Amino acid sequence: MNECLLCQQAIASTPSWQALLGLEKQTNICPDCSKKFQRADNKEESDILDRITSLYSYNEAMREYLHQFKFLQDIRLAEVFADELRTSLIGDAIIVPIPMHPEKKIQRTFAHVDELLTSARIPYMHLLEKLDTVAMGEKSKAQRLAMKPLFAVKKGTTILPSTYILVDDIYTTGTTLCHAATVLKEAGATRVEAITLIRAER
Amino acid sequence: MTHTFDPAVRDFLTGRIWLRLHTPFPTETIDAHISSKHIKTIPGITSTKARHFCNRCENDNPSRFTTFNCAKCQGPCTYCRHCLKMGRVSSCTELISWNGEPPTYATDHSLAWQGTLTPRQQQASDELTNSTAKGTPHLIYAVCGSGKTEILFQPIHKLLLEGKRVCLAAPRVDVILELEPRLRAAFPQTAIEALYGGAESTTAAPQLILATTHQLYRFRHAFDAIFVDEADAFPYTADETLQRAVRKAAKPSAPIHFVTATPSDKLLADIKRSGQVSTINRRYHGHPLPVPRYSTLWNYTKHIQKGILPKKLITWTTQCLTQQKPFLIFFHTIALMEAAEPLFQQLDTRIHAVHAAHPDRKEHVQALRDHKIPGLLTTTILERGITIPNVQVAVVGAEQLIFNKGALIQIGGRVGRSVHYPTGDFVLFHHGITYAMDAAKNDIIQLNKGEIRI
Repeated sequence: MNECLLCQQAIASTPSWQALLGLEKQTNICPDCSKKFQRADNKEESDILDRITSLYSYNEAMREYLHQFKFLQDIRLAEVFADELRTSLIGDAIIVPIPMHPEKKIQRTFAHVDELLTSARIPYMHLLEKLDTVAMGEKSKAQRLAMKPLFAVKKGTTILPSTYILVDDIYTTGTTLCHAATVLKEAGATRVEAITLIRAER
Repeated sequence: MTHTFDPAVRDFLTGRIWLRLHTPFPTETIDAHISSKHIKTIPGITSTKARHFCNRCENDNPSRFTTFNCAKCQGPCTYCRHCLKMGRVSSCTELISWNGEPPTYATDHSLAWQGTLTPRQQQASDELTNSTAKGTPHLIYAVCGSGKTEILFQPIHKLLLEGKRVCLAAPRVDVILELEPRLRAAFPQTAIEALYGGAESTTAAPQLILATTHQLYRFRHAFDAIFVDEADAFPYTADETLQRAVRKAAKPSAPIHFVTATPSDKLLADIKRSGQVSTINRRYHGHPLPVPRYSTLWNYTKHIQKGILPKKLITWTTQCLTQQKPFLIFFHTIALMEAAEPLFQQLDTRIHAVHAAHPDRKEHVQALRDHKIPGLLTTTILERGITIPNVQVAVVGAEQLIFNKGALIQIGGRVGRSVHYPTGDFVLFHHGITYAMDAAKNDIIQLNKGEIRI
């Protein structure tokens, strides 16, 4: 019997042949908690990004999830959306997580986007580096648009003329993703898409 | 060792076990106190080959730990998920506690409570004071509405006069919220702090602490006596780490007392082995406890889910509304309660539902106290600790497992607490009678006859 990662209640499981044969999907959150998340399956595009897919909308349950995952540093919660991320990321494109500034990473003790991908068992490559330590959430839209470049291609890496998929936890105004996509395209990428766990409205 | 230290740091940290990086003081101040050995540091997690151990909440359940590759300490690092919400404790996190001389607590305290105790209350209070002096655990087993809180005033006052530090703990925040104003009024001179999730933390040296049992994870060898109110309430009985937290928060020789109307067999057995029991089977106003009446309510779930409020519920609620008596209706699940909420609102739009995670829970309960709303639908969170004069109580689905004997006795205990309204309706709407319902009814009848089982 395993416990729900979010509410710590035991997850009731009924014995079944699938479970016995190891075919049943392992759930790590209980049906009650899982019900609170709202699927968005939102698809958008912009001048620079050829497609932005967001899996969930930003509601109270998601706010609490992000708080516990990122601010209370509960790295274990990377597992919660592993299956969903895996399903939407299977393919041949090169997966590039939005990087964290090294100092910020030490502060948090882990890079949350990397952990989401690791839990989903999706191979990824760090092709970008973050130039600034400032968090997006602290800025207004005008400030975000008027910023200097946020990312640069990592030294010693070459960008091929192929498709890249950026991965981030949350897509609000799109500034972060646009900056990252611009850098990749300038370096030679033909197509840049993005997948984010959450779509939030400002 | 130098002798200079900041008294504010001492006052805050004495008896506490705190995250080094999350104190209300600047890092340099804490660092200076550590190098002068006024503060000692403790590793967050102690790991051996066999197990991990959280030094804050004393959790050692392997499923509540996660080990990962930490970017800060550059290696495998384990953190405790059990007390995570109080700030993460990991292998590379340090905890601190006060290592210097503790502060001297005030010895001038007045007891401003003007009431008088009934002879039974007085006897229980004296027995409790004696046990405290001897350092033995004591159980106050007293029926709902017998004035348990007042029994505690004298023993607490005596401890405070000796400059001792006291904690009054309860598993539920509602109980703490109810106790806080009463204790502040009773001990106007005393430095009191109420601690619960979301409460503001102050840096003064509180001598009397009211806290949810969860908050005691953050204390260590702090108190000369701990009184655990509503000791049988969830989650205290179900969560062994909370029981350890209470033990850890008390000084090694300090007694831990329990107060409840529905002690579990285990608590009774434990106390009988090592301590004393005082019993009170009469309410302070001398009237008997309300005996529950049964009323059938067949297939209530089906009806409510179809959007039909059973006729008996309409009649009962309308009666309360027309007679202007406040009411509480208990449900066994949030889902059923929320399905019923709009149906009740057709009778009166001011009726609301509350549950543990409800954002307006505090406000709605206060509104009921202030007669701004006629009644509430609730889960078992309001089964104890709440006093509303002339309240009428109904349980919908009394046969459900969650309504065990203790819960039903507690729920009935909400009725007739006020001396002006010593009676009231306590009805169990059910889809079949359970042993728990009969056991609760029999216990209440026995208590009213003056017999008490210990």
